[in-house]
Amino acid sequence: MLLTSVIFVLREVLEAALLLSLLLSLSKRLSIVSSWAFIAIVTGILGAAVYGFNIDIVSEWFEGVGQEVVNAALQMAIYVLLCIVAILAMRRHQDRPVSENVLAVVMAISVALAIVREGSEVMIYLSGFLQARDLLVPVLAGSAIGAGIGVSAGAVFYYSLLSLKRRAAVIVGGLLLSLVAAGMAAQVAQLLIQADWLPSQYPVWDSSWLVEENSVSGQLLYALIGYESTPTPLHLIVHLSSFVIIIFLAMAAGRSGTASLENAHA
Amino acid sequence: MSRRLGLLLTFAVCAVPARAATPVIEIEIRDHLFLPSEVRVPAGQKIKLVVYNRDPTPEEFESYELNREKVVMGSSKAVIFIGPLKPGEYPFFGEFNPKTAQGIVIAE
Repeated sequence: MLLTSVIFVLREVLEAALLLSLLLSLSKRLSIVSSWAFIAIVTGILGAAVYGFNIDIVSEWFEGVGQEVVNAALQMAIYVLLCIVAILAMRRHQDRPVSENVLAVVMAISVALAIVREGSEVMIYLSGFLQARDLLVPVLAGSAIGAGIGVSAGAVFYYSLLSLKRRAAVIVGGLLLSLVAAGMAAQVAQLLIQADWLPSQYPVWDSSWLVEENSVSGQLLYALIGYESTPTPLHLIVHLSSFVIIIFLAMAAGRSGTASLENAHA
Repeated sequence: MSRRLGLLLTFAVCAVPARAATPVIEIEIRDHLFLPSEVRVPAGQKIKLVVYNRDPTPEEFESYELNREKVVMGSSKAVIFIGPLKPGEYPFFGEFNPKTAQGIVIAE
């Protein structure tokens, strides 16, 4: 029971922890006070509890696919917020006036929503053991260990990103942000296919022989780039186009910055 | 950009031909076990899976092979659409009780 809860909670925590570390390192680079992260974590956990304890009501919505639709909406919101982060961060990186508060708020909401999404499942999982007194202690212990490993992975990620030189940090950080964001958008497609709101199709390929989704590398790749061993055409289109869109937005924001700087010099 | 994406999506939608009524398969969860633990479904077709959780505790239906994940609260049911599947075996499990809650979808 203990091991099961370690693995389960780790899986759920990893994705939100990586997003948090990525945005925290970005925030540090752009000299934004990082207190937003604390507020995001607290509101995220509260939101996860509210969502988790009302999941039976949500599940009934839309003829039984309410869970998928609400989760897809959460993921979509995170993707859009990360696009805004990419644009604003690029502008601030070029020393153009970008409100520190706006960036902090956008990052905070995206992290809070990611915690709501992943944390609600942890809440539901734990709620199942409230009556089982003999299992509660090992399950809570296992969950704490799993959460601890997830947070440690996030910390390692955070410090590795901060150790990069400025130029490398812009490229690596920007690329990772785009990959994580596109992974979020791909989950929207995945959830809506599961809900039968988007058409189901045969997978384009099966790469499970290469990287299995339930392996450690599979889980890490899932958290980082939304790895899916059997993607359908629609899933791939959404995944790739959302990656291209966020890169395009960030580069456009960067380019207009360079142009305006040149105008200022002229 | 968005117009091109819209066009692509339209193509993707049209690529799936309309089919007759979707077959419905029902599975129960009792004492953290799937009943039946083996379900046979027609290959090449979308399937509506209805999972009834008869336990008071929540469970999460999960399958890497089917690409599905959904919470099924205690004493309630969940609808999960799967497929179209190529002939083969697709294991699934209950993520909250993975040691006991194991099952397999066989597409043929």
